[in-house]
Amino acid sequence: MGAWSQVYVLREAAVSSPTPVLELKHISKNFGGLQALDDVDFDLREGETHALVGENGAGKSTLMRILAGVYSEYEGEYLLDGQRIRLQNPNEALQRGIGMIHQELSVMPELSVAENLFLGHQPTTRWGVVDWKRMNAVAEEELGKLGFGNIDVKQPLEKYSLGTQQVVEVLRVILSGARVLIMDEPTTALSPAEVERLIQLIDALRQQKRSIIYISHFLDEVMRVADRITVLRDARKVATLARAETTMNQLISLILGREVNATLPAATSISHEHTLLEVRGLTADVYQDVSFSIGQGEIVGLYGAIGAGHFDVARTLFGMYRFDSGTIIVDGHAFPRNFSARYAIQHGLAYATESRRKSLFLDNAIYKNITLPHLSRIGKYIPRQTQELEVARPAMATVNVQPPDPLNPVGKLSGGNQQKVAIARWLTFPPKVFIMSEPTRGMDVGAKSEVLGTLRNFRNEGYGVLVASSEPETVLAVSDRILVMSRGRIVAHMENKNLDKDVLMRLL
Amino acid sequence: MTVQTETSAVTSKPPAAVPTWRRWIIVLAPLWTLLALGLFFSITSQTFLRPINLNNILVQISTLAIFGTGLTFVLLTGEIDLSVAALAGLSGMLSAHLFTNLGWPDPWASFIGIGAATLLGLLSGLASVRFRIPTFMATLAVQLIATGLVLFISQGRVVNVTPLSDTLGTERIGGPGGVQILIVVALITLLIGHLVLRYTRFGRYIYMTGASKPAARLAGVNTDRIIIIALTICGFTAGIAGIVHAGRVASAQPQINGDFLIDAIGAVVLGGTSLNGGRGGIMQTVIGLLIYGTLRNGLDNIPQIDPMLKKVITGIVLLGALVVNLLFSGKAPRDRTG
Repeated sequence: MGAWSQVYVLREAAVSSPTPVLELKHISKNFGGLQALDDVDFDLREGETHALVGENGAGKSTLMRILAGVYSEYEGEYLLDGQRIRLQNPNEALQRGIGMIHQELSVMPELSVAENLFLGHQPTTRWGVVDWKRMNAVAEEELGKLGFGNIDVKQPLEKYSLGTQQVVEVLRVILSGARVLIMDEPTTALSPAEVERLIQLIDALRQQKRSIIYISHFLDEVMRVADRITVLRDARKVATLARAETTMNQLISLILGREVNATLPAATSISHEHTLLEVRGLTADVYQDVSFSIGQGEIVGLYGAIGAGHFDVARTLFGMYRFDSGTIIVDGHAFPRNFSARYAIQHGLAYATESRRKSLFLDNAIYKNITLPHLSRIGKYIPRQTQELEVARPAMATVNVQPPDPLNPVGKLSGGNQQKVAIARWLTFPPKVFIMSEPTRGMDVGAKSEVLGTLRNFRNEGYGVLVASSEPETVLAVSDRILVMSRGRIVAHMENKNLDKDVLMRLL
Repeated sequence: MTVQTETSAVTSKPPAAVPTWRRWIIVLAPLWTLLALGLFFSITSQTFLRPINLNNILVQISTLAIFGTGLTFVLLTGEIDLSVAALAGLSGMLSAHLFTNLGWPDPWASFIGIGAATLLGLLSGLASVRFRIPTFMATLAVQLIATGLVLFISQGRVVNVTPLSDTLGTERIGGPGGVQILIVVALITLLIGHLVLRYTRFGRYIYMTGASKPAARLAGVNTDRIIIIALTICGFTAGIAGIVHAGRVASAQPQINGDFLIDAIGAVVLGGTSLNGGRGGIMQTVIGLLIYGTLRNGLDNIPQIDPMLKKVITGIVLLGALVVNLLFSGKAPRDRTG
């Protein structure tokens, strides 16, 4: 009974008050010398949706984690209803009415909608067993209040779409007592129709006087749902704007810290001398109708926010992700519907994933990592170590792996050097098209420019290169052409001439 | 986002190098265990070090060594085979039945026994790969099939073995006083296993499949096929072990010797081959086998020990040895996930 009655108490307590529900003052946070937040102020009013925007690394995540009680060590003040608090953990945050909706939902797909809503605090009868009748009735009622009365609460949650599951998660957090909701990139995995539904939900929550902190890369969405917008840049708060008095261009200039040109470049028509990779109408569960081509000596950037589907397209091209329809043609050769990575390698593709941990054998020697894809060409039955080293050494030298000892385990190298090994393994028997996901993630400036230099060399030697990335800097630095993916579709296709981050951002 | 870059910067820092001498201690930890056990029994038992007893140890672990070779392949891929003991029983019983009861000519009767075990190994592999059944369950099912077949074929009776079984299990090279053939068979099996794993392309694929299946697949390795082949090889060596064992005990038994399974897995893992795959090898298996043999035999040679307690002591010593191995390799408290 306890947690349940609390919900009603909270609702009654939600009378409008002049003080903000929540306020952060002069917040600073430092990670071993790296200033993640520098004197940031933030406040949230009752019934308000307050968006938090900024580039990757601007400090959004850190601020969000402080708000949600993940970090308890920081400088500055945290006020809740005007009272100074310091949250020790996310649980305490929830007890005080601050709930978090993560990008990855934490629902139980096999349980019913109602069970999910009351996870951990189901209403019970006086005999101590779950009171199903009441649970289902209340679940229906609560969903109805938010405009989702059509959901059958007795059905297992997995029967519903991701968007509906998210609605259930939001309501679950509310039912466990939250009046402040932090939503972290809630729409990355949603279809346009589901995004509309989420916006409808947020409007309903606003009616209930609940406050929402909304974090998103999608500026058009932010402009629709937010009452106010706070922009972070380089760990500092740049501005807090009323949505009604803000334009998209203004917002982008604030995020990037400079003037932007308002026009989008025209779409490009492509003409290759020789097409190495052609993708037509590729469709899978997480992306639809993806078409593009890569010519000889060309780097094509595939840019999108995390979850946009660009990494899955890259995976598909290498036979590591199932697709439903469409064609893949490499240098005139059409790939079958089901093919393995081995097939892709044999037909001239190479791939380095966004996760080096998953693509390299960290405990094993560098040379073994480099020769594995080509072992049959080095020695049909018995590859000799001397031959393998002969193959590995020049490949390592080309990309400048440091230290250059092929017998070292890969796990001992720095991140940048591990990435070089992931590239070096394809240099001995060069592919036609090199596919790289997030080639420079987590690297320092030096390693970054070295890796990008290697990609440029590939192009100059006449390979085709596909760079899938969520880092606009990387895509802009190396691509000849850029495709922008958003929610599983290619939404723009441009030549990389006078392009700027603001253009990419606007297209997300 | 800041935090993500921060953590990845931390993980990308090269870990501190392990000095060479420490690495040797780590790699050789099972060997230290073996030496310690040997030393202990040499002091406490007067009969342990006699040549005839040392020969006994080798005979006792020979069958296990043949199993262990195939099992090493499977464990290195990160999979497991619970059917080895039953496959050995089937191979021994089927060949004995064909020869003794149905009058088939011999080497062929024995070969068919080995072939049946090999086919069931293949079946485990196909079933687990095709239908994504964990090898733990697939081989458990095959183990049941093989156990049932042995009972059905034998109708619960002991059957006389084939001449090949008899030769491999009992005869010596160079007349009485020579080396027993089953020791030679075990050594050859181990040697071939070692060469294949260490030097061939296929061997590399086995290790890499076990080290990381996704990474192996990304490098174009057909990990499914590698697992199928490893399980087939394991069935094959179990088949040979079955023929040799039946010869050694001079009969094909209707009951499966369940100890074989646990002993074989125990010996391979004790030597330092990881159950997670990717680490270990035949050399480690040899050391594991010797530890096992020494322990078993050594306890027999100390008359003061109550024979009824021997299993308990074996278990305790094994546990201790495994803990020592893990502590030496510094892997004990750390988690391998991620």
